[in-house]
Amino acid sequence: MKKRLGKIFLPVLMCAVAVAVIVIGLVYFNYISRRIYNDSTDHLEEIYGQVNRSFGMFAERNRGLLKSLDDYIAASDSGSGAVSDCINENRQYWKFSEFYFLSSVNKSCMTVGGAADSFTTDDAWNGLAAPDEPIIASGRLPDGRDITLFAVHSHGGEYNGFAYDAIAVSYTNEDLAASLKVDAFSGESTCFVIHKDGTILLSAQAGGSVFGNYLTYLKAASDLDDKGLGKIQSDWENGASGLKQCNIGGVSHCILYQPVGYQDYMLLSVVPQSVVSAGFLSVQKTTMNVLSIIFLLVGAAVITFIVIRGHNMSRKSMTELRYRERMFDVLSNSVDDIFIMIDAADYGVDYISPNVERLIGIPVGTVRKDIRVLEKCAINGSVVVPADELTEIPLNGYINRECEYMHQSTGERRWYRMTVYHMSIREVRKYIFVMSDRTQERNMNEQMQEALNAARSANEAKSNFLSNMSHDIRTPMNAIVGFSVLLENEADDPEKVREYTRKITASSHHLLSLINDVLDMSKIESGKTSLNIERFSLKEIIDELGIILAPQARIKNQEFNIHVDGATPEYLMGDRLRLNQILINLLSNAIKYTPENGRIDFMITEIPHSGDQYVKLRFIVRDNGIGMSDEFLEMIFTPFSREENSVTNKIQGTGLGMAITKNLVDLMGGIIMVKSKPGKGSAFTVELSFALPDFAESDADERKSTEFVYDAEALKGRLFLIAEDNELNSEILTEMLAAEGVKCDLAVNGAEAVEMFKNSPAGHYDMILMDVQMPVMNGYEATRRIRACGHPDAADIPIAAMTANTFAEDVKDAMEAGMNGHLAKPIDMNAVKSLVYKLLTGRRK
Amino acid sequence: MKKLRALLPIMLASVFAVTSCGVTNTAPSNSDSVTLTIMGKRTDLQKDYMVKIFERYENETGNKLDIISVDDDQYETAAAERLKNGEMTDIFLHFHNADLSRFDVEGNFCYLNNESWVSDLTDGAREYCTDAEGNLLGLPFWENSVSGCYYNKTLLDSLGLKSATTQAEFDMLCEALSATGYTPICWPAEDCAWMPQFALDPIFADNPDMLEKLNGGEITYSDIPDVKNMAQWISDAADKGWFGSNYLETGWDDISPAMSSGGAVMTFIWDTWFYTDLEDGGKYTKDDFALMPVFMNTVDGGTFEGGNINMMMVNKNSDKMQDALDFLSFCADAENYNAAFDGIATVSCFKGQTTNVQSDMVTDILPSVEAKQRVSTAASRIVGYSADDMVKVINELLSKRTDVDGCVRMMDEYRRLETENRYADETVQ
Repeated sequence: MKKRLGKIFLPVLMCAVAVAVIVIGLVYFNYISRRIYNDSTDHLEEIYGQVNRSFGMFAERNRGLLKSLDDYIAASDSGSGAVSDCINENRQYWKFSEFYFLSSVNKSCMTVGGAADSFTTDDAWNGLAAPDEPIIASGRLPDGRDITLFAVHSHGGEYNGFAYDAIAVSYTNEDLAASLKVDAFSGESTCFVIHKDGTILLSAQAGGSVFGNYLTYLKAASDLDDKGLGKIQSDWENGASGLKQCNIGGVSHCILYQPVGYQDYMLLSVVPQSVVSAGFLSVQKTTMNVLSIIFLLVGAAVITFIVIRGHNMSRKSMTELRYRERMFDVLSNSVDDIFIMIDAADYGVDYISPNVERLIGIPVGTVRKDIRVLEKCAINGSVVVPADELTEIPLNGYINRECEYMHQSTGERRWYRMTVYHMSIREVRKYIFVMSDRTQERNMNEQMQEALNAARSANEAKSNFLSNMSHDIRTPMNAIVGFSVLLENEADDPEKVREYTRKITASSHHLLSLINDVLDMSKIESGKTSLNIERFSLKEIIDELGIILAPQARIKNQEFNIHVDGATPEYLMGDRLRLNQILINLLSNAIKYTPENGRIDFMITEIPHSGDQYVKLRFIVRDNGIGMSDEFLEMIFTPFSREENSVTNKIQGTGLGMAITKNLVDLMGGIIMVKSKPGKGSAFTVELSFALPDFAESDADERKSTEFVYDAEALKGRLFLIAEDNELNSEILTEMLAAEGVKCDLAVNGAEAVEMFKNSPAGHYDMILMDVQMPVMNGYEATRRIRACGHPDAADIPIAAMTANTFAEDVKDAMEAGMNGHLAKPIDMNAVKSLVYKLLTGRRK
Repeated sequence: MKKLRALLPIMLASVFAVTSCGVTNTAPSNSDSVTLTIMGKRTDLQKDYMVKIFERYENETGNKLDIISVDDDQYETAAAERLKNGEMTDIFLHFHNADLSRFDVEGNFCYLNNESWVSDLTDGAREYCTDAEGNLLGLPFWENSVSGCYYNKTLLDSLGLKSATTQAEFDMLCEALSATGYTPICWPAEDCAWMPQFALDPIFADNPDMLEKLNGGEITYSDIPDVKNMAQWISDAADKGWFGSNYLETGWDDISPAMSSGGAVMTFIWDTWFYTDLEDGGKYTKDDFALMPVFMNTVDGGTFEGGNINMMMVNKNSDKMQDALDFLSFCADAENYNAAFDGIATVSCFKGQTTNVQSDMVTDILPSVEAKQRVSTAASRIVGYSADDMVKVINELLSKRTDVDGCVRMMDEYRRLETENRYADETVQ
């Protein structure tokens, strides 16, 4: 309580002291003002009293001069020239401008030189009409100069025939004004000799002659009311002195008037108030300045004391505050959390942790200027926290937000959880933002979620796959098993046996096709498929396609047309096998899903392009078959997808062909498009780019060698060496070849095959069919050893791989091992015959 | 002065064929009579006293006058062309001796110093028609006005003030008038073309050498202190409120209302303006006004500008030269000119002129007018002087867009451009 009273008492005391000082100062100023103003006006009166006396003395001297001259003239002979000499001598001494002989009767004058009517005025005649002396009058010379006349009644007489009763001397007002001029008052005072009615006789100020009647002028230009003007007029009428203050043209003036003492003339002085009071103002100003300085010094001392005391008191707390702030800065620099405190009233930033630049890429100073700059960093430009949300946070409450920010320097995106607290600090509402980096946590969550989704997806895919496979494998297997049982039961009926055998064969082919596709698809999806880029003949591929597919089309009595753009280059660089696979898939589908008597067109055209290092080809397979619905077209490239309708249900298919085709096209950097309408047909377009080989030689022999004309007698009498570890397989193969007239020697592994070949005479074996995966020595190794064994036939005996490894890589491995061809298991006799024929006819003997 | 305002556009007018724009009045032919051709501006030839003297001449001599009147703004060009082409014209009218540079005066016109009527000319009128060498170029036959500071005497008397005789008095008068709340000077800034001439005339009329140096390019306005004094006075007067408050929006048409209402006490104008332009029905009429010199800080005693008189010049190459000189003698006859100027408000051009109406404003201070009157010099003698340019320059100063020194520099620059333009025009022609 005591402390609080002390807090109130000190300011009150200071105010009281200040008021007292001001009051005392004002009283003092008022007193000094009055004193100095009185002194100033006294000074004004004294100065112009002196002027008045000087003018009176000047007039008196002129009167004395005129009296003495009058006596002299009266005593002299006017015609002797003595008068004019005397007057001229006095003119030089007294500096008057002219001497006049005056006739008040005739109101005429004559100069001492004899000129008449040298000035015009009524003033002089009015003065001479009165008996009083001296006489002062105004006049104007013919050249426009104003003059003042000093005249006396004379003894009278004649001068050069002019009868006069008075004499006068004149001074130009310009000369006379000098005697009235006052150097005091900064030369800004004006002095007039006026008649009692206000008419100006003489002005001491340059230009003052424009005033004709000062009383009239005061009426027009001053703020004097009738009473004030009446007082002045009365004073002037009565020849009384006076001092008046008034505004003339908005400027305060002092008007001082005194009787001259001759006739009714008054000396009128007009001085700006500011000039009269200049001294006072100077003293007043100085006094004010001194007192102001003293007051300011005392005030400054008191304020300094208070400030120093306050400063000392707050210094400690400020130091502590700075320490804390510094520590907080250091702390915030070592963490990835940003702290911001803003004022709730104007959102001005009170504090921001220095790590904001490191974490968001915006300098602290920029955020300090305007916190809204943070919005620039927020992804999608979202408001950090909308103002209306801030105002809804209850005191001591908080809200949480998550925002993604982009680092303004690095472009890195980071997630922050923003917690905004609404607090009151020393009764001032503040919002404190804590922005915690949650990027790692969020990324981890996202990765976990992705992994979970992937696992779910994989599991689902696996389930789907197994479900599909279960159905698709069981269906042909069911036929094989079922018909095998029926075959056994109906073994005596040759017709039934042939029918069941044909159905078992068909189901087996379907099952084999399914297995091939599944394995192929699996390899593609696992990313293990790579392209084998080599030089190949496009024409050769097209011819082979014709050979393979034309018979199938003929079976269904379909029209199968191949159109090749004549400009298409023959030799290209690419994966021959994969291209073949793509085209066979499309063409075999076209044949498969086109009814009998339908039409299939296969067109190959070159797409124009700007480069000369590669060629871009468009392959179009168009049919007028059953077509596809729009719904199916959307999922045509999805594995295991097959359109279900009455037609397709009768056609065997794995549902993987188009998925494999699409993947292969993608792998080759091409595109595949399909257009189809149910009942109208389908058109598949594949666009692929192929590099051009460095040279494109035409290898007629090679092309010739690929021309294949099947000869049923070609295999008869041939002797094959077969390396096969599986007894069942070897038996099947032996039987199948025997049906074609081929004899076979069997080896159960690679090593045995090598030995048998080495030990055979030259030209003994026509061909070797080599299984790849065999015990003791695999087929690749055995082939390499055969080629290297030095047997006369070692270099050129045809060796064909027989393997369940059917991928392109497997074929490539076989070729690299020195084999000449590749046959996939299960062995298709037609494929065997084709390959054997091809190899045998190409063998040089 | 109004004529002077029209003079500049005329001088700058482009070339037009006389026949295409002129109107020819052909007198009835008479086998014994002489027909003289007179060429002049349309408005000049339509003046009552001109019409009267032409009619009187034809009636009394039996001779005929072929009057070729040309649109005012095309006259200078047309007259010069006519002289150049040798198309016969006996008498040309021309505004006193101003800007005769386009005419070959010596080769085309008679000097009239020895004519019998010369002694009857007033000094002022003769001065206006005489060239620098003292040759009388034409017969002054025109209404003659006196330009100066015309002030409302009635108002001044009522305020206890008198007219000024010196620059200091004039400034004091303005100050005193301001203190009474009246606007001392009506300054029509929009059309103040003639006002700066009052200040410049005494500078160059009193110092012919200075004029010669200025025209010769030896000095510029900036080298002449009085030119700056003029600009300084105009600037100070405006600052002190002597022109009132809206002088920048004041034009020629505003002078009459201001003067007749007492809105302004003084203006720099000419006496005939009170007969032709001061509107009737105002608080003050021409009888309330009096004349004092113009004070614009270039000459302490002030100045008056004499009239701008049309003169008749005789073509010395005409085969009717003597008849033309006889026509001039007819016009200079007292009986004839008194008949022509009967009732016309003008200062006399002839000493024997008695029937004209002379303004009391002028006659009241005639000695002062005669003592302080200067020939119009700035507009007519300063090469490259343009009244319109002066309006622009003064208004730049009054609008505070330039200071006094800048104003004088602009005067020089405008004069340089005007000189170049005139030179270019003449070169083209």
